[in-house]
Amino acid sequence: MSCVAQLRHALGGALLALALLPLSGVVARAEGGTRTLVLPPDGVVLRPSSLPGYVKAQAHCVACHSAEYFQYQPPTAPRGYWEAMVKRMRLVFKAPLDDADVPDIVEYLVKTYGAEQAK
Amino acid sequence: MRDDPVAGRQRRRVLAGGLGVLAAGLGLSGRAARAQAGVVELPVANGRRNLVAYPEKRPLIVLTSRPPQLETPFAVFDEALLTPNDAFFVRYHHAGLPTTLDADHHVIRIGGNALAKPYELSMADLRAQFTAVELVAVNQCSGNGRALFSPRVAGGQLTNGAMGNARWLGVPLRQVLARAEPRETARQVAFNGLDTPVLPGGANFIKALDMAHAMDGEVMLAYRMNGADLPMLNGYPVRLVVPGYYGTYWVKHLSDIQVIDHDLESFWMKPAYRVPDNDCACVEPGTTPAATRPIGRFNVRSFITSLADQARVAAGKPTEVRGIAFDGGQGIREVAFSADGGQSWRAASLGEDLGRYSFRPFTFGFTPAKGINDLRVRAWNRSGQSQPMEALWQPAGYMRNVVESVKVIAT
Repeated sequence: MSCVAQLRHALGGALLALALLPLSGVVARAEGGTRTLVLPPDGVVLRPSSLPGYVKAQAHCVACHSAEYFQYQPPTAPRGYWEAMVKRMRLVFKAPLDDADVPDIVEYLVKTYGAEQAK
Repeated sequence: MRDDPVAGRQRRRVLAGGLGVLAAGLGLSGRAARAQAGVVELPVANGRRNLVAYPEKRPLIVLTSRPPQLETPFAVFDEALLTPNDAFFVRYHHAGLPTTLDADHHVIRIGGNALAKPYELSMADLRAQFTAVELVAVNQCSGNGRALFSPRVAGGQLTNGAMGNARWLGVPLRQVLARAEPRETARQVAFNGLDTPVLPGGANFIKALDMAHAMDGEVMLAYRMNGADLPMLNGYPVRLVVPGYYGTYWVKHLSDIQVIDHDLESFWMKPAYRVPDNDCACVEPGTTPAATRPIGRFNVRSFITSLADQARVAAGKPTEVRGIAFDGGQGIREVAFSADGGQSWRAASLGEDLGRYSFRPFTFGFTPAKGINDLRVRAWNRSGQSQPMEALWQPAGYMRNVVESVKVIAT
């Protein structure tokens, strides 16, 4: 948990740092030299929900990547897809999820972005 | 920019965001939030996307913000045969990007258990101690066009803008590896860059090529792109260029090369980036392939670039149409076009040849009949390989290459 918190803190700092970068300043003719990369803030945020998985997704999912990964999936994306992705994040990318977090997050994702959205 | 009297919907939306783009490009306020340049509606369900100007980039279609994945608006491909650096697509796998990078201190480590003389290579040495070559080559994301699959597949929902054509300057990997004296046992070469997984222990993005491929003299360590340094988001100061192969192998911010005596086993080689192990790299929609192999060379593709779907044209007026075709390195031999939805075909005229890995331009003329005109183009490479009339399907959504349809409306 603390590692996620540290991560979010670091990301926040990176976002704040971006204000001073001249975006076009890197288009130099000279070869080599030092480049600095500061990225724009996330373009979308998680859709709020009363489902318990919403808060958990904020803590565990968007700590590492932005919410377009959910928002732009086909609205037909079935529960199995979201389960497979949460499992991949846990096993392959070491997201520090508790057993109890997984079904909550899957439930939030499939009902907010996937095939089980309210019509 | 070429004259384009019939700009598509997408392009007009890009231009509509021009003021915000200008402000961001000049860095006047420096507030990146103002880089938001508008939205674009891709022609798929749930297709609304933001257009944002990232560092060194004009407004591009944001697939994801963090890590950045940016798709090129398709109208760009009608501007020039070489895709401008500021419009070239971006694809990262990890949000751990290098935020500061000093090329003068950047080092590529060459090591592994199947070579005799590991060494470290600076950018200055790379430029000075080897014979540089120049090559025009297309880079294309494996999942280019995934959003157009039917039935839809999950994953990065790209239309056809995750490709680009550039003139790369660099050093053949063969020269760099030869200095390290690879052993007979060498089986694969693994490539790593400076981008890292966000969390410790996450599967690092490392890709491998077979030894013979790595030594073919064409795979290169590129440090210039269209006559300029690589943009940061395209791998500054040096990236791997694997001509004719999908972008997954074109490792950015290249920092580590390992010559190994076994096949690399990693998430990013298996199960990721695999295709059905059969001739068409396809399966019946909704089914799972019995066996898979790593994705490899591009198949044949062709696109109309001067007319967007649903564009308006003048009925009865002879109209010239432009487009591009490419393949995995045989080179394009022929392009045919149809103005009647594929019922009858005629030859298009091929344009400038920048090499067998480049986009090949073509043109054809037709006189629109009143109503809907269903335009299609189909290319063949020098081995006679072509494009299917009906889309093939595979669960990962890679390798789309169907004959695309562009319906224009003549009034």
